[in-house]
Formats: sequence, structure tokens, C-alpha cells
Amino acid sequence: MSKDASHHDLAERLRAQARSVGAGAPGVNAGAVDAGAGQPSDLTEPYRMLAEQVGRASFRVTDAHVDAVRDAVGSDQAAFEIVMAASVGAGLRRWDAAMRAIEEAGDAAR
Amino acid sequence: MRLAEVERGDTLRHRLLIRMISRFAGYRLPDAARVAFYDRDFAGRALGEWTNRAMRGPSAWSVSERELMAATVATWNECPFCVGAHRAVAVLGMDDAVAAAVLVDYRTAPISDRLRAALAFLDRMTNDPDDLGGDDVRAALDAGLSVDDVRDAAAVGAVFNIITRNANALDFEIPSPGDFARAATMLLRRGYG
Repeated sequence: MSKDASHHDLAERLRAQARSVGAGAPGVNAGAVDAGAGQPSDLTEPYRMLAEQVGRASFRVTDAHVDAVRDAVGSDQAAFEIVMAASVGAGLRRWDAAMRAIEEAGDAAR
Repeated sequence: MRLAEVERGDTLRHRLLIRMISRFAGYRLPDAARVAFYDRDFAGRALGEWTNRAMRGPSAWSVSERELMAATVATWNECPFCVGAHRAVAVLGMDDAVAAAVLVDYRTAPISDRLRAALAFLDRMTNDPDDLGGDDVRAALDAGLSVDDVRDAAAVGAVFNIITRNANALDFEIPSPGDFARAATMLLRRGYG
């Protein structure tokens, strides 16, 4: 994709990729996107605790959070995807808020 | 780095590439680059493309201004790796003292009203996204930004609200100031794609 592609298209592509099944069980990455965004999710422990912590205050994530998820999913790749998905959820929550704010400002000016 | 396979590389090609780049560059390849190489078919490729568009694509913001926005978001998200990495790129095109002042408090730093307004927007977007609204956009427009300027700044904010979380959650190793500076030259030249 070129450097001229729209932010909208690139954001939506990232959203779809982060919600995809990947290396873990179906639904876990999509749940991590939601939990990272601070939304309700069906995630069980230990995934929920890690994904919510990534979204809320990632600097407080500990070895124990990551080790518990690594042990539960059985691979570094699946654990990595949960961290990535939760991070994407937190970032896209803010992108969505910014796009709504731009729309709101435009509506008020009309 | 908390996940050994991410640090090492997930394919033979990536493991060799990590070793080769580290050897030729003369410093340990930063963890951000290792993450960019890892599991690209999941979200890495899509994140890299959006990051490159936001940081190096068409925009009224200079590369240094965008890098400083990234470093400022990293400060709010308490990500020392990203503060160091993106401040080091920013100062290749701006006064180090100005960058330092912004990272302490953008509201009092000696920067343009436009950049200050963009940072105020990113502050609300990062720290209080549920309260971000039309008034925040109108304040930015009043300071001279266009809607495209706000959208371009928001894209920088979005991707660095992702990257800082990856860096913190995976516990990226913090390079020395000298290695940050050397990596910054490469990041300026090669971008994020």
C-alpha cells in the first residue's frame, strides 16, 4: 500500500487484521481488541487481565501477566498477538474518538 | 523483551536479518524493529503501513513535528523506549532544547500555535478519549489547523497509542543515548514500512 493511502482505509485494515484468528483460539484476538479498547469482552483469564492492563496502563504490565498468557496459549506467537490486539484496540478507540470529533465539528458548522 | 521468539525472530530469514543488521550497524537492533519483523501476516504489516503513512506520507506537518508528536504521546503513556527513539529522530530536524521543552510541557514550550494546538488535541485524545469532541477540533481549527492537519495528527496519535503499548507490554530493552541516535538516522532514512 502506498504512502498516499487514506488513514481511514489503513485503520480499517489494521482493525480487521487485529481481530483475525491468528495463531490462537478463535475469538481471543477479537476479545483482546475489545478489552484493550475498554469495552466489554468475552475474554477469560488470564487473557482478560493482560489485555485490559495493556489498554489501561501498559507500563504496569508485568512478567507475570505475560508469562501466564504465554503458558495458557502455548506459544510466543499467540501471546504476542494478544498484546498486539489489545494495543490496537486502545489505539483505534482513540482514532475512532478523533474521527467522531471531526464529524461533530463539521456538523455544528453546517 | 518478554517473548524470546520475538527477540530472536520467527523465521530463519528474519533471524539472519536481525543478526546481519546488528553486525553492520554496530549496535543491537532495537526491539521495535524486531517486533516489526515478527508475525507480519497478523497485524504487523498493516500497522507498519499505517505508521509509515502517518509519519512519512503526505502531511502539512514536518517529519520532525510528527516525530515530536510521537515522543509526546510516548511521554503520556510512560514509554521510555518510544520517548528516546522518537525524540532522537525529531532532533535531527529541530533544536534539542525545543524538543526537551515540549516533552516537559508543550503548553509553555517555544513552538508554533499550530503545533501547540495539535498537541492539545493529542493530549485529550490520548488521556481522555471519551471526552474528545467537536470543541477540541474547533479549538485546533481556530489555531490555524485544517481538518486534514487534525486528521494527520490524530493518525500519529493513534499509531503511537498502539506502538507505546506494545513496547511497554513486551518490555523493550532501552538502548544507550548513542544507540538511539544511530538508530534515529536509519529510521529517518528508511521510514517504518
